Amino acid sequence: MTATSTSGRAVIGTVSAQQALTFRRQRVRLIGVATLIMVTAMAGILGWSSHHTIVRVFDQAVQLQAAAGNPAPANPFLLKPSLSLLSNMVVYIPLIGALIALMVGHLAMAEDQTNGMGRLIFTRPIARTQYALGKILSAVRLLATALAGCWALSLVALLIVNRTLNGPDLARLTGFYALSWAYLVVFALIGMLTALLIRRRSLALLSAIAVWIVVTFVLPQFVSGLRPTQSLNPLSEPAGLSQGFFRITHLAQPISLVEGYKDAASSILRTTPATTAAETALSVLPTLIAAATLALLVLWRIQRHDYSRSASDE
Amino acid sequence: MSESTRRITQVARHEYRAALRSRVLVILIAILVASTIGSVLIGASDYAAQLADYNTYRAAAEAQGLTRIAPSPLAVLALLRGALEYIEILGAIIAITLGYLSVSRERVNRTLPLMRSRPLTGAELATGSYLGALGIFATLIVATALVGVVSLGLIGHDWISPIQVLRVTLACLAALLYLSAFYCLGAIATARAKVPVNGLTIALGIWLVVVLVLPQIGDTLDADNQLPGGLFQALGLDHDGELAVLTHFTGYERVRTGIEEASLAKHFERFAFAMTDVKERYRPYGLSWLLNETRNNIAWLLAYAAVLFAALRRTLSRQQPIETGGNS
Repeated sequence: MTATSTSGRAVIGTVSAQQALTFRRQRVRLIGVATLIMVTAMAGILGWSSHHTIVRVFDQAVQLQAAAGNPAPANPFLLKPSLSLLSNMVVYIPLIGALIALMVGHLAMAEDQTNGMGRLIFTRPIARTQYALGKILSAVRLLATALAGCWALSLVALLIVNRTLNGPDLARLTGFYALSWAYLVVFALIGMLTALLIRRRSLALLSAIAVWIVVTFVLPQFVSGLRPTQSLNPLSEPAGLSQGFFRITHLAQPISLVEGYKDAASSILRTTPATTAAETALSVLPTLIAAATLALLVLWRIQRHDYSRSASDE
Repeated sequence: MSESTRRITQVARHEYRAALRSRVLVILIAILVASTIGSVLIGASDYAAQLADYNTYRAAAEAQGLTRIAPSPLAVLALLRGALEYIEILGAIIAITLGYLSVSRERVNRTLPLMRSRPLTGAELATGSYLGALGIFATLIVATALVGVVSLGLIGHDWISPIQVLRVTLACLAALLYLSAFYCLGAIATARAKVPVNGLTIALGIWLVVVLVLPQIGDTLDADNQLPGGLFQALGLDHDGELAVLTHFTGYERVRTGIEEASLAKHFERFAFAMTDVKERYRPYGLSWLLNETRNNIAWLLAYAAVLFAALRRTLSRQQPIETGGNS
């Protein structure tokens, strides 16, 4: 029994290592990590620009109010949360990060179908569950590596802009990236599942993107009345729920994963009014449930997948 | 009809019919149509309630003999905002997908060598495919606009006037140009890639930057968007104070505007929003003033569409009908 489980772990490790090597050779790892790092750098520059703009506007406002004989306005940095530098990351993770994760998941599962490796692999005594777990592990590791780089860069950016970072803020920063990782895993699994469900690669990729559109833009509109472009602004005004329609659909808010992610991320970063730990946990829960369900669906679907039919026409 | 025109028409018809046979395209179109119709229906039902409130106020004011009655603050066309935003984001993906499918279909089915064995030039193929795609987009946009306008009348109880119909038509034409530009992008990227799916991925990456990232950066850099509720309000500055402060930010604002103007999506959005009264500052003005005000956006939309169409013609004209270097 122990020998079997050890050999199972070895197979998972081998499949995962082989996929990691493929990611590296195809430059998927480089592109994925570099894109997320660049996005983090962009969020840092925007955060720095925001800080700089506030300083300049504040200086001008003080002069203007003094000339008019009015008292100086309150320091706006008292209104700006210390981790607000990461506000843009809360937007970029569901937009750019999720698309990268879809691509990673898609490539992990689709490549072996296209190049015929799947047929070869299953001539060996490898359980499909172990194979799928190896693929999932490699995608999950790749995303973790990318987000670890983002975490380090965010740390540097916060130290440059805020000049200081206390223990609780460091814990929040880590919590935010752990949450983002869980969110991206959901999309990697969606990429894998569509690759298993649809034989043609392009159709599988487009179907995954259709799911991403529904999760990112359509559900928030119907559940909370958020227009598509409101999803792009980190400081969008909350939508009015006065209509009867939204009072009903708002009950389905837990299925709106992107809203749950944004609520939980803002709560962890304290960029919105403080919420309780239980409320934050409730916002995170749908993401975790979605990840677990999708992982089970991938494991179920791979048992039925016909690797004798290749998708080499693309 | 000349032989060349006949061949172009045949390719356009083929493109139109083939697009409707693609399951994934039909699914994407269904998501777009359902989302836009849903957003218009929700907005229209809310509008009906607000209009009823205003009419009650108006009737009461008239009964009391008041001569100065506040005009309605409602703008019925603004309810099309959700539909326009969906065309901006999701419509662009559909256009890229159509561009990808029109090139990859002929490659995967091995029909490109067959087509090119006929007296059909690459430029005719590009023009025919482009016209077929325009036909698909026109059907999609007209259907969405019709459902939107009828919903505003039936549910919102406010039928739009002929001049408003003209403004919606102009917004639809802008949408057609916008989608055609993304169609060309999808087709060019696919035709230039060795593996079609890689071309699709590159086109989607460009879409991400143009439609989502650049406008987002422009919005985020807006000085007033730095704090929830507005930075100027937090500093106790009124509109005059805000304008006085912004005179010290001309260079900054120029950079911000430049970033936004690099995005085709922003030009479409600005023109379409001006035509449909989405922005309150445009509401008091007539059509000629609005067209003059948004001439820059119209020029950019036309320029993007023309350049990308020229690039598509060039790419498809140079495309090898038979793959070289393979073992087939």
